[in-house]
Amino acid sequence: MDAVLQGLEMLVSTPIGLAAVAGVAWGILGGALPGISPSISMALLLPFTYGMEPNSAIVLLASTYIGAEYGGSIPAILIRTPGTNAAAATVLDGYAMKQRGQGGEALGISLYSGVIGGFIGLLMLVLLTRPLANLALAFTPMSYFALGVLGLSVIASLAGPSILKGLAAGLLGLMVATVGTDPVSGVPRFTFGRPELLDGIAPILVMVGLFAVSELFRQAGARAWSAVGGEATRIRFPGSRLRRRLVKPQLIGTSIGTVEGVIPGAGGTIASFLSYNEARRWSKFRDEFGKGSPEGIAAPEAANNTVASTALVPLLSFGIPGSNSAAILLGGLLVHGLLPGPRLFTENGDAVVGLYTGLFVANLSLLALGSLILPVCLWLVNRSRALLMAFIYALIFSGVYTINSSLFDVGLVLAAGAAGVVMRLVGLPILPAVLGVVLGFLVESNYRRSLLLSAGDHSIFLEDPIAVGLLTAAALFIAGSLGTRMWLAVRREGATASAER
Amino acid sequence: MSLSIETRAGIRIPSVVAVGFLALLSACAAWAQEDSQTREAAPGRDSMRQPHRVAQAISYPHEVVTLLTHSSPGSGSDLFLRELARRLGPQMGVDFVVEHVPGGGGARAMSRLANARPDGSVFYAATPSFIFTSLLSRPANTFRDLEPLINVFFDQEVVYTRSDGPFETFAQVIDSARAGRGRWGAASPGSLERQALERLRVAADVRAAIVTHDGGGDLILNVLNGTLDIGVGEAQEIRSQLESGNLRLLAVFSDARLPELPQIPTVRELGYDIVVTKFRGLMGPPGLSPEIVGAWEREVRQVLDDPEYRSSFSQAMLTPAFMGQADFTRFIDGFASDTEAFLRDTGVIR
Repeated sequence: MDAVLQGLEMLVSTPIGLAAVAGVAWGILGGALPGISPSISMALLLPFTYGMEPNSAIVLLASTYIGAEYGGSIPAILIRTPGTNAAAATVLDGYAMKQRGQGGEALGISLYSGVIGGFIGLLMLVLLTRPLANLALAFTPMSYFALGVLGLSVIASLAGPSILKGLAAGLLGLMVATVGTDPVSGVPRFTFGRPELLDGIAPILVMVGLFAVSELFRQAGARAWSAVGGEATRIRFPGSRLRRRLVKPQLIGTSIGTVEGVIPGAGGTIASFLSYNEARRWSKFRDEFGKGSPEGIAAPEAANNTVASTALVPLLSFGIPGSNSAAILLGGLLVHGLLPGPRLFTENGDAVVGLYTGLFVANLSLLALGSLILPVCLWLVNRSRALLMAFIYALIFSGVYTINSSLFDVGLVLAAGAAGVVMRLVGLPILPAVLGVVLGFLVESNYRRSLLLSAGDHSIFLEDPIAVGLLTAAALFIAGSLGTRMWLAVRREGATASAER
Repeated sequence: MSLSIETRAGIRIPSVVAVGFLALLSACAAWAQEDSQTREAAPGRDSMRQPHRVAQAISYPHEVVTLLTHSSPGSGSDLFLRELARRLGPQMGVDFVVEHVPGGGGARAMSRLANARPDGSVFYAATPSFIFTSLLSRPANTFRDLEPLINVFFDQEVVYTRSDGPFETFAQVIDSARAGRGRWGAASPGSLERQALERLRVAADVRAAIVTHDGGGDLILNVLNGTLDIGVGEAQEIRSQLESGNLRLLAVFSDARLPELPQIPTVRELGYDIVVTKFRGLMGPPGLSPEIVGAWEREVRQVLDDPEYRSSFSQAMLTPAFMGQADFTRFIDGFASDTEAFLRDTGVIR
């Protein structure tokens, strides 16, 4: 109770409220620009915080993270371009809803679910920091490997009509993930002497290429561009009936997001894909998924906004940054002489209370700022097709170029776009490829680390309880999805047979 | 010459005018009464004897100097440059700008520097990683296209284990690896930490898996949760874990015990002649003039004596390790050939 009062007092006596609003606004902008990741938005801001009062500086950075995790969903829904890695899952149903003329609804659902996810994440951060920190500690290389496999198992249910083509696309993604420095020996692999490839191919480049650029190429080839439909440029928040329907996917999203956020290195992308998959599994309207299901937006968006809060757990409790964004926040803390770790809570308690208060304000202002910004975005994408296409090209390529000021990256995105067009032509689904790119490095590096630890003995995976649990879950998921597929196929054949009869 | 500099700086920063003016006055005074005044005012003693050098110290030929780093804001290099700039700026009468040039593990920053004019207006924060990048890939420009300027600090590499684990001394870790199989962790595959452990494994002739990670964070977690026996990393990365008592230091890879940690033995005194040094210095474009180099050598040496700066860098576990251009050039050459030999031995490059 004292802490609540202290927080309120800081809110009126220091500029942390202002910092929270400013951070969210900047974050939404950065997240919405393709290529500018949450960590880059924070990095751009960091030098400005050096001269600020410590509490405001930290709140500003943490709020930027929250804003950016949300902002990524805006272009994901409107122009099929995930602004951040974690927004890739939102593309699936968000863009489908937009194409049905329900862009305003889709944006409303993502904002509403994001804010709910943010508040639940904050609650978890405040109440459960200690137990969650222990969870982060329990993850060994074996568990990370199993977590990656669990993520890949989503391919089984999201592969589309042909499981073989799904697997082929997944393999393609895994192959892309092998480019870069070998995680164990340090040997450069498939880099062709290009220093740009030493760190591997960034997943966001592949995603922007496969999802967005391939769509642009496809639309450029369309015979006649239809006139713009008079779409409403207002965002619509879900009504009470839809809100009740969204409770389940949001719960799934926040629970998965809480756990994944805490585990360093796992991050929002795995969380949003797993939540999407689980929401689909437990939904009453499974057939709608992929065709514009509100639940398909709510689950990943709730998940990645939860992650934005719980990702602070390992940073605050151990001083260990779990992601690039957290590493920049760590830099911000260090500049102000605050050393995150167990002693932060006892010695700089007011900094922690200030941060929590700031995050609360940040989530509130996310709702307000989102409602302000979204109509503008909707208006923008309702211009004539020619203008819109030119705008998207400019947006994507300037964004991609900005990451490293590198034309090489722009070339990579174009190549991924061309690959996306070919994949569509031959019916290879894009999602498994994206999963492969995102998870390939995690799976490979931890698999090899584990075997290094055990001198090549695979039984080490069975000695780790978390790994056993996750691998079993993955096996059950795969068996379940394959079983459902077969059952559906048999029933369909039965139906055609009876129709013929 | 000195007059024009004074007005030029005076338009920008009043404090610089004041400092410059005072120094100029004292220089004139010293010139006039060279013998009687030389032994006073200890810090400026050197310059008083040679008045023309005072003018040089203040008349750094640029008002704005850009310091490049390929690391992200908030990283060790960023903090190093910003702290250094904050102290050196007023002293040299220069506005320092820290610019981040990410991409290719330093490849872009190296190209930018190699093609810059060697007029002293741009430098690059050097750490071992730019040498690794030069050796691992074929960037357009490598460290050989740059000119070493000075070294400022060593970042100490320490060996640590979890406090509630089975190891209390470094010798126990080696013994356990000799009896069975050690599990040792380092940050990334192409890192100085891995190099240190590979050399230790050979020197101690033991069996140990050297597990590399994606950065410092997951390495610390794997030491904390008992997956690994020991980890090697920069002292400042594990500061909070040391303070909270979760991790224990076993040894340092420096050539002598650290003043901040007098009770921690060096690996060398434990019987394995391995010293690894993560340097933090500055590189410039090739062809720097002796005046520029001289100015930096003098100014940095002086700023390292600043008691305020001293307390701030020793808190960050940085050891001052000043090297002038000649020493630093030799050091970089030695470091590069050691690293190249290591990368060949481990099969990373052919």
